[in-house]
Amino acid sequence: MNRKKGSVPLLYVIHTILGLIVLLPLAFALVSSLRPLDDIFRYMSPVSWKTFVPVHITMDAYVSLFVERGFGRIFFNTFYVSFVTVLFGLIIASMAAFAFVYFEFKGRSLLFFLVLLTFMIPFEVIAIPLYSLVDQLGWIDTYSGIIVPGLANGLVIFLYRQFFLDLPKALIESARIDGASWSRIYAGIIMPLCKPVTVSAGLLIFIHQWESFMWPLIATRSKDYKVIQVALSDFITEFATYWNEMFAGAMIAVIIPVIVLLPLQRYFVNGIANTGSKE
Amino acid sequence: MKKETIAPYLFLLPAIVGLGMFKLYPVLSGLRQSFYAPAFLQASETFIGLKNYISLFTDPVFWSSLKISLLFNLFVNPIQIFLAFMLALLLNSKLKHIGIFRGIHFVPVAVSIPTACILWNIMLSPEQGVVNSVLVGLGLEPQPFLTGSKQALASIIGIATWKGVGYWAIFLLAGLQEVPESLYEASSMDGASRFEQFKQVTFPMMKRSLTFVAVSVTVSNFLLFSPMYILTQGGPEHSTNVLMLESYNSAFLYSDTGRASAIVIILLLMTLCIVALQFKFLKAKH
Repeated sequence: MNRKKGSVPLLYVIHTILGLIVLLPLAFALVSSLRPLDDIFRYMSPVSWKTFVPVHITMDAYVSLFVERGFGRIFFNTFYVSFVTVLFGLIIASMAAFAFVYFEFKGRSLLFFLVLLTFMIPFEVIAIPLYSLVDQLGWIDTYSGIIVPGLANGLVIFLYRQFFLDLPKALIESARIDGASWSRIYAGIIMPLCKPVTVSAGLLIFIHQWESFMWPLIATRSKDYKVIQVALSDFITEFATYWNEMFAGAMIAVIIPVIVLLPLQRYFVNGIANTGSKE
Repeated sequence: MKKETIAPYLFLLPAIVGLGMFKLYPVLSGLRQSFYAPAFLQASETFIGLKNYISLFTDPVFWSSLKISLLFNLFVNPIQIFLAFMLALLLNSKLKHIGIFRGIHFVPVAVSIPTACILWNIMLSPEQGVVNSVLVGLGLEPQPFLTGSKQALASIIGIATWKGVGYWAIFLLAGLQEVPESLYEASSMDGASRFEQFKQVTFPMMKRSLTFVAVSVTVSNFLLFSPMYILTQGGPEHSTNVLMLESYNSAFLYSDTGRASAIVIILLLMTLCIVALQFKFLKAKH
């Protein structure tokens, strides 16, 4: 687009203001998490520079989260659950997409239609019957209960399918002529080619699992399987006065995905541009 | 060639079992439950036909939460789609450090809804919140925000928008970047103004991504539940009691799975209708 030169400084101003609005609550949380508990509301009113800059910096809140509130366990749970979901979610979805793209078989369009249909069904809607099912399986308050229901993901199957459709068919044909088995073609030829889509699909699953709240809330009862989002919401109801710890917990819950996401942001946008919104 | 006939099914097996068992079966089972009385005390459930639905339609609590759900969506969806589109246009400009600004708007994507709720809950707190301190500093009246029955829903719309707009803008930005530069060049040679360019090139080329975002925004907002669950529990004075929360409470607070399932089925039907309407309205090919 041809832009007039005069609009450039204005654009910077607009971007900076928008950026500040977006970052304000996070900056405030970071500052508050570094304050001693007594200081959190001390400089709140009237507003001064001390409202936004910590005067006495301390890591007490972070230490206490791990020592007293058992956040070590909560972290392990969240990481473990996310990691297993990403790993198996990618395998299951890419295998399914492989079948949809490289095979003609009975019921293909019907099955693909069903996969598309599952996009529209988030956990929230099916929480009640899903709870009874998982309960019957004996999985309430287990890792399986949190992980297994989310492993097969229609959106991720769709992402892989779009990517596979763009790969040259001749590749597969020549491998078949050379006598390669289907599992070899999948694992040895196709999968190594689709690193970009695997990165964006993996990110998608990771964010989804790291952020999930309602299902882990329902599917777990004990502290042993608590994940970070549920633990954070407990702060509002259970220990409502430990503001600094709450901010520290929120900070950690934000920083991990930011660290994972930001360097891979480009892949994520490209992955969407090449697949997600196209069909 | 017998091996080939089962090969695709073997590849599909884990996905189909997973989706069938944990997505499709629960939907059907929820549909079935909506026709049954819950088995609190009896050994088995009893079929009661449409009674759950009929009692919903005569229940003022249901009507009130239906109204609140619709009101919430009436505002939150257009606001989010509009702001996301504006943001995507801004982020598509060829500034030197645009990557940094894109990164900033990507950050709330990493902030989950529960975390966003916790942060804003304190920011908006009536006595100690930083927003009210700033308002007072500017000589304005402090506001109740989440604790006021007239402002709670609007505050939640604000929080959801802060959290959501960057995410949806990414999808639209991806769409904008696919618009071929040559189209802009051609239309500027024809002497089209910036606004005409937008109307004749950008908007038509963006229909597909806009439809995708409109549908996704609607579906996710219709089922949004955690801000109300975490921040207001449906209050004050039921002002934020959306249908999804009402369903959750029916199921997990009052163990009335029949009522909860009936609400969910109604929600699902409404979501499908809105999605269908949007597809029609935007005349997207898919």
